[in-house]
Amino acid sequence: MALLEVHGLSKSFGGVTAIADLDFGVPEGQVYSVIGPNGAGKTTLFNMLCGIYSPDEGSIRFLDREIIGRLPHQVAELGVSRTFQNLQMFFNMSVLDNVKVGCHLRTRGRIWSNALRLPGTRREEKQAERWAREAILFCGLDDYLESHADALPYGVLKRLEIARALAASPRLLLMDEPAAGLNDTETKQMRSLIRQISGTGITVLLVEHNMGLVMDVSDRILVIDYGSRLAEGPPEAIQNDPRVIEAYLGGEIEYAV
Amino acid sequence: MSHLRGFYLLVAAALLLPLIFPDNYYVTVVGVTAALHAILAVSLNLLMGYAGQISLGHAGFFGIGAYASAILTTRYGWNPWPAMLFGLVLTGVVAFTLGRPILRLKGHYLAMATLGLGIIINILLVQTGSLTGGPDGLGGIPTLSLFGWAVDSDLRWYTVIVSVLLAVVWLVLNIINSRSGRALRALHGSEVAAEMMGINTTTTKTGVFVLAALIASLAGSLFAHQQAFVSPDSFSFFFSIELVTMVVLGGMASTYGAIMGAIILTFLPELLVVFEDFEVLIFGAILMSMMIFLPQGLFVGMQKLWRRVATEESRRGAA
Ligand SMILES: Nc1ncnc2c1ncn2[C@@H]1O[C@H](COP(=O)(O)OP(=O)(O)OP(=O)(O)O)[C@@H](O)[C@H]1O
Ligand SMILES: [Mg+2]
Repeated sequence: MALLEVHGLSKSFGGVTAIADLDFGVPEGQVYSVIGPNGAGKTTLFNMLCGIYSPDEGSIRFLDREIIGRLPHQVAELGVSRTFQNLQMFFNMSVLDNVKVGCHLRTRGRIWSNALRLPGTRREEKQAERWAREAILFCGLDDYLESHADALPYGVLKRLEIARALAASPRLLLMDEPAAGLNDTETKQMRSLIRQISGTGITVLLVEHNMGLVMDVSDRILVIDYGSRLAEGPPEAIQNDPRVIEAYLGGEIEYAV
Repeated sequence: MSHLRGFYLLVAAALLLPLIFPDNYYVTVVGVTAALHAILAVSLNLLMGYAGQISLGHAGFFGIGAYASAILTTRYGWNPWPAMLFGLVLTGVVAFTLGRPILRLKGHYLAMATLGLGIIINILLVQTGSLTGGPDGLGGIPTLSLFGWAVDSDLRWYTVIVSVLLAVVWLVLNIINSRSGRALRALHGSEVAAEMMGINTTTTKTGVFVLAALIASLAGSLFAHQQAFVSPDSFSFFFSIELVTMVVLGGMASTYGAIMGAIILTFLPELLVVFEDFEVLIFGAILMSMMIFLPQGLFVGMQKLWRRVATEESRRGAA
């Protein structure tokens, strides 16, 4: 059984159908990519998977539990974390504090215990600091530990979002266009970061327009167009699928990284 | 602990001031008002500066605390301490029940709703005259007494209110630099990302709203006993705006900034009385220019200035 199973998922906004009767399953431990042209419904799909949008129809099962009807923080509790296509950084906080927020679900301290700085809080603070530093180191952000988030370049922020998501120690990580806006060097770093994340056993669901990157890191790929499934399979099969080539710019795909 | 470095300075200042200037009007009278304002500003800053939720009705909760203490002690002969507790419970209930629906709103709409809340509380204080004394207010409120130690002099009030301020600041600093404080700041930074990190944004917003209201209510009770008299004027819409001004002036999301804003806004009118008719005009001009030249607030502005001076110095020293 797959870690994440999606059945008959549909969502429309007014007259616009964003996702139409979509089925797929993400096996545990894999890097599973969702690709498709602009406006195909990838971000909408992500938003449903993590409880931000509620679908019109269908089911989303994660670890055999229904996602639909849960709020995002409840979905996060099940072990799902994500990054955002348009950065959702806490620009009012330092890098370290941003990532510490990622540890929210791994710590328990309530406000009164925090306010009185009881021993439990002190212990947890130290633990959160360790976890956050680990995630920061993992994403190669050690140089920016004390920096304020609003002072960082875009490429660093992209990795900071990942560090924050990893600090939650998720089972499933959703990444919405992690390489968008990155230069070649940064894209290469991102590719190895995704591999490293997958190497730790975290299942990755990736949305990305950079085909070289997608073909390189993915175990399986789902292609959607107008919210419907166009093709699904391992990268080699997708690369040679005439329907996919058709959907992308009428037959031209850049596979270079 | 590093997050309390500034706090120790504050404690030192609070201890030294009355020793250096004993029986000084600006320390034990204006200073006490400033400390009371600082308690309010620090609590409002928790909501506005850290959690990013504006409130234009904070004076209302200050009023609930003050009137709970005033009414229960004068009309029903309660001891001040249970009266204060009652005020806190009442404030908590009001803030919790109204906070949930109100805090679903954002930005201007939240501002309008909290403004309305503050105004309604104020109108209730004026209209329920048989209980509150109406626009004339309510006098003869007994002073506080701690195990036989009656708070009956300016210096004693200074001790009590400044101690409460210090305690509130300590608690708030601890909160800010912990899991719950990060949740508040995350809410301000990005609600959707905060949710995705497992923060229940609805309960977090309500929680901080209630906490800020409770602190204001406590300040209200202290105010009532210290003044021995309350009237609705002290809890009007204008005072809510003044509190917001303190927070913004000092610098949002800085507890010390809020304290600074409270001190300045309390002392400035005192110092400007010499200008008589022009007092309000000059007051407005000072506020306006401060915000133009230090848009991030006094505290952050001064920190930056200080850093620039320090680096200049070290550069000159190196050359
Ligand atoms: N909140 C919304 N309200 C109305 N329409 C929406 C909303 N969110 C998405 N849509 C529409 O749904 C469709 C799918 O959008 P979505 O953002 O999911 O595409 P995408 O595949 O992520 O595109 P891109 O590659 O450009 O990020 C688009 O037509 C979009 O305009
Ligand atoms: Mg998208």
